[in-house]
Amino acid sequence: MTAGTIAPGAGRAIGRRPVPWSKLAWVTLRQRRGLLIGGGVLLGVFAVYMVVMAVIQHNAYAAVAACHPAAALRCQQLNNSFYRSYWGGGAGPVIAGGGAQTVSSLLFAIPVLLGAFAGAPLLARELESGTFRFAWTQGAGRTRWALSTLVLPAVLLVAATGAFTAIFYWYFWPFLADNQVSEMLPLAFALLGVAFAAWTLLAYSLAAFLGTLLRRTLPAMAVTLVAYIVLAMATALAIRPHYATPVTVAGWNDNSAWVMNQWVKAPDGQVLSQSALNNLSQHLPASVQNSPSPDAFTNWLTQHGYTLWQSIQPNSRFWQFQLTEGAWLLVVSALLIAATVWLVRRREA
Amino acid sequence: MNVIETSELGKRYRRRWALRDCTLTIPGGHLVALVGPNGAGKTTLLTMAVGLTRPSAGALTVLGSEPPGSPEALDHIGFVAQDAPLYRNLPVRDMLHVARNLNRRWDQGRAEDRLKQLDIPLSQKVGELSGGQKAQLALTIALARRPALLVLDEPLAALDPVAREDFLASVVAAAEDGGISVVLSSHVLAELERVASYLVVLTRGQVRVSGPVRELIATHGAGLEEIALRHLRAGVPSSSRTEAGQ
Repeated sequence: MTAGTIAPGAGRAIGRRPVPWSKLAWVTLRQRRGLLIGGGVLLGVFAVYMVVMAVIQHNAYAAVAACHPAAALRCQQLNNSFYRSYWGGGAGPVIAGGGAQTVSSLLFAIPVLLGAFAGAPLLARELESGTFRFAWTQGAGRTRWALSTLVLPAVLLVAATGAFTAIFYWYFWPFLADNQVSEMLPLAFALLGVAFAAWTLLAYSLAAFLGTLLRRTLPAMAVTLVAYIVLAMATALAIRPHYATPVTVAGWNDNSAWVMNQWVKAPDGQVLSQSALNNLSQHLPASVQNSPSPDAFTNWLTQHGYTLWQSIQPNSRFWQFQLTEGAWLLVVSALLIAATVWLVRRREA
Repeated sequence: MNVIETSELGKRYRRRWALRDCTLTIPGGHLVALVGPNGAGKTTLLTMAVGLTRPSAGALTVLGSEPPGSPEALDHIGFVAQDAPLYRNLPVRDMLHVARNLNRRWDQGRAEDRLKQLDIPLSQKVGELSGGQKAQLALTIALARRPALLVLDEPLAALDPVAREDFLASVVAAAEDGGISVVLSSHVLAELERVASYLVVLTRGQVRVSGPVRELIATHGAGLEEIALRHLRAGVPSSSRTEAGQ
């Protein structure tokens, strides 16, 4: 070798400071620019719609809140009409669309859409196009590169979806204020607190892991979508109810809770089976059977010595449930990201 | 200092050995032609040398005694993989910036000067460059890292004859100016004959000949191509001879 060559030992003499994270962050942000813009536009469109709707709903709700006394029939009707128009949809202004209920269901899809589109291509695109042979042979080394590639978009996603939750609170507030809707209901629970951001993080980590494992972007997205739906359903139906033992309360009219189960006890204290209850409802006096009031049957039951019971997760447990769910989702996401880094480290060209 | 040193190196993909019992010493300061037919194990050897793949057997060190893929090795080896993979969606300027931010050692002036000489506009998207320009960009990036060793895997395969000439001239100039050791693989020897100072012939996962070109010519009393051909034939059963380097 000639004198002009820098011997490899020279680097060691200066001491080896690795490539700084700020430089790696620039690379990650530059490569994910399309995603950042796309995700920003998607969230932005929803945010603008929800801010507009929130203003309309708050104005409409102001009339409900100002109505005194609240128990008066006039005020009850106003409240019901507000609820029908803006929660149920259909009866309200065109812009309300299917109402907050439908909008919330649509928002359900946002975490998995954002997560899959952001996470799946991270490694899969590099493996598909061969550019990993470039990225992993640079001075930074593949582990630091992988950490920057995986962690920075995750942080940005969590920040963006967390901020979005704030808008959702504002949008949702008139329904929560009157206990018309319980924030413990799966529809609301997934969009409030830390759940929205945590589920986005989970979808992202899952997609990144699957993209690395399958080495293909589209299959990784598809598998992420299916796995996410299964996990989200299983969580709402089977896992979340077990974060705490449900409380048993008398009566069926508690809106400030997530109702797990309802049953009727006969005057002798026996729990009525469903068939016994059906049988009973078919042999009611005509005045009750033909009554327009939805409460006619339950009123008749209580008048005749029956008692109504339900097991619930009260609204007061909202943050306990949010933090429980947020914690395990965070742990699972961290494990998936660690597994992805591990796959990158042992991946052969 | 030996830029690549292997001892009974082997690599197995599932049941097939891509490289086997490869004991090889490549001294620094050379432009090394690594020649062999397709599937001989050239890419396997080079990807192990740059730390992308781990050996299944034997040992491999680079730049003296560095394990491949170590921070020191990554810092001082410029690698251009087959087909010169780069981010196609980025403009050349941003591609340079990406490479700059992924390395501790970087010579921006050198990179920009080279691209200016080559008439490659910084605003052009990498995906819109011609094959020759893309190969030159990949080489520019590898050189801007001021490597001690430049590893090029089949850099000429996808290029047209003029681009091949230009690319080789760039490599020779870089090797001479910067005192960089170069290992360049190819299944075609013809173009390398004039520039290589060290020859390694690989067939069917084994080293057939290895040594400085001058010595090989002196001992064999033949031209480089003749020597390589002779060894390529020796390593291949007659039935599959047609696959060997032409």
